[in-house]
Amino acid sequence: MDITYLKEKRILIVDDEQELLDMVVSILKEDGFRNIRTASSVKDALETAGTFRPELAILDVMLPDGSGFSLMERLKVQADYPILFLTARGEADDRLRGLGLGADDYMVKPFLPQELIFRVTAILRRSYKGEEPLVRLQGSMIDFSRGEVVKGGEHIPLTAKEHALLSALCRNAGRIVTIDALCEAAWGDNPYGYENSLMAHIRRIREKIEVCPSQPISLVTVKGLGYKLMVER
Amino acid sequence: MKSVPRLIRRFISILFLSIFFLLLLNFLLLYFMTKDQTSSRSPYATAQEAARGLIRDGENCALGQDFQEMLREENAWAVFIDNDTHRVIWHTEDLPEDIPMEYSLSEIADLTLGYVRDYPTYVGDGDNGIMVLGYPRDRYWKSMWPTWDYDFIANLPWNILTVMLLNLLSFLILYMVANTGLLKSVNPIVKGIQTLPTGEPVYVREKGVLSELAASINHTSEMLQMQQRQLRRKETARANWIAGVSHDIRTPLSMVMGYAGQLAGDLRLPEEEQKKAQVIVRQSARMKNLINDLNLASKLEYNMQPLARGRENAVALVRQVAVDFINMDIDRRFQIEWTAEESLRACMVDGDRDLLMRAVSNLIQNSINHNEQGCRIYVGVWQEEGSCVIRVEDDGKGASDAQIEKLNHTPHYMVCDTNTTEQRHGLGLLIVRQIAASHGGTVRIGRSSYGGLSVEIVLPVDS
Repeated sequence: MDITYLKEKRILIVDDEQELLDMVVSILKEDGFRNIRTASSVKDALETAGTFRPELAILDVMLPDGSGFSLMERLKVQADYPILFLTARGEADDRLRGLGLGADDYMVKPFLPQELIFRVTAILRRSYKGEEPLVRLQGSMIDFSRGEVVKGGEHIPLTAKEHALLSALCRNAGRIVTIDALCEAAWGDNPYGYENSLMAHIRRIREKIEVCPSQPISLVTVKGLGYKLMVER
Repeated sequence: MKSVPRLIRRFISILFLSIFFLLLLNFLLLYFMTKDQTSSRSPYATAQEAARGLIRDGENCALGQDFQEMLREENAWAVFIDNDTHRVIWHTEDLPEDIPMEYSLSEIADLTLGYVRDYPTYVGDGDNGIMVLGYPRDRYWKSMWPTWDYDFIANLPWNILTVMLLNLLSFLILYMVANTGLLKSVNPIVKGIQTLPTGEPVYVREKGVLSELAASINHTSEMLQMQQRQLRRKETARANWIAGVSHDIRTPLSMVMGYAGQLAGDLRLPEEEQKKAQVIVRQSARMKNLINDLNLASKLEYNMQPLARGRENAVALVRQVAVDFINMDIDRRFQIEWTAEESLRACMVDGDRDLLMRAVSNLIQNSINHNEQGCRIYVGVWQEEGSCVIRVEDDGKGASDAQIEKLNHTPHYMVCDTNTTEQRHGLGLLIVRQIAASHGGTVRIGRSSYGGLSVEIVLPVDS
């Protein structure tokens, strides 16, 4: 799947620890992100955000001149873009507060470089999916903006449920998505008793995307656990 | 308050027993005190017999020898008064000098009823005259005016019964009046003592006969509350200290972990250096887990971790943890398999989603940590008689019976109040136990049918 368009996104990182800022920048740069700015205080962050117009902000909760939570609220007044908290405070209520205020994700230090990259990419993909180009599978392509699958020159439309299921699978391409998470993506909260319907939908999706639906290559079953969408790079 | 009626019953039975024994004692005392006072014969009977024993021949009279003997024994004197002349026609030899020799009718009435010159006298009806016996002045006390209504004596049994009942009633009233006050002041004290062990603050009004007792209960309660507060403060301080340390360690550890992670994946470095960086990554990950565990364990131990409870599907939750491990691509040496039956799609529990996921993830992590050579990990959920059983097993090296016994029954060093020199094990299992306990569940550790260790979290099903 081509995600180079995500690497162009402007990312603002706010933390009072210069060495940590350097490290996060180096991790992101190594993965190909190019537009990165840093700030080490609330004041600094607001000024930078005004001119830099970030498309994602990574914030620490405790800053020398205020809290990350209030900074988020002030940033959101300027423009609405996704926020990821990166903090040493792992308390459950801090986490809930951050997410409750509208943060997109909450990461507790310490973290592995891959973990940060995965979360940043996932947030960007979720927030800017309208810009997402075609998703290439083996033998077919999914065009989410048109809501259709292109297989052997034929354009096959996707139903709303199929679209929702494929989006959830695509966001986690190459990773298992549990049966329960898929049901939730298609039918909303407390999705019990939809397992049979899910199987039927998966069968229909396979008919649309797989070259040989009885021997699926792209949409793989992981027994008892869920499904995995294999995407071509 | 079951003890108060019992107390009343006990008091009343003691009261009745006391009355009974008191009466018995009185009768016995009366009997023994009067037994020796009265001679075997009544003075009236003696007078009657003496009157009949007097032999009269005109003006000459004589009393039989045995009658004279009897009078001497009683230390009594006797006169015989003639019916016609009202004069003494016979008397014993020891007659006191002040006894008159002639009597008017009114004097005879007096002596019949009472005394002659203060000598108690008893009269017997003889041959045309009366025999008068006089006893020493301190021998008898004559009751001279005992006059009763006819009905009173005729209904004596009923009257006695009525008197007894009235006595009893007054006893009861007296008892009630005296003891109600006591019981009233006992009640709050009993309540206070019963409340003390619950740890709730207790206040008993310091009034009445038992005010001192109430004061000591209040004092005890205050002391308990103070100790509780102090303990709580210490626990809070300890948990805060642990939280503070773990917070301060996170930022420096981030840098160790982040840079080591970058170096470990840097293909420009020689393989040897990459491997060293991987070791740093692994060890810093261990430190991260330890910090998280330490913080959570201390919060759970001191009940400072609020539970965000909700209706959760254990099947979905455990499945998500298993998938997260697989998606993290932990290590090819560890394979995770889902073993729950496909028919079980939901098993609802009332719980904190994050904590329950943490418990399951700790169990999977334990299997990974203790089987360096790699193993298969089997994860599943079952529903058994109102319980939801989450089971994590492996086919690794497992544990001996002695170790399993110890895991099941020996407290973890962190919650052990004695000094321990044992080899210290991680906090993973302790947290699982604490989480299970905070959800009203239990943890069972045993041998797995796959050969390794099996750990089950048993939670009540939310129906």
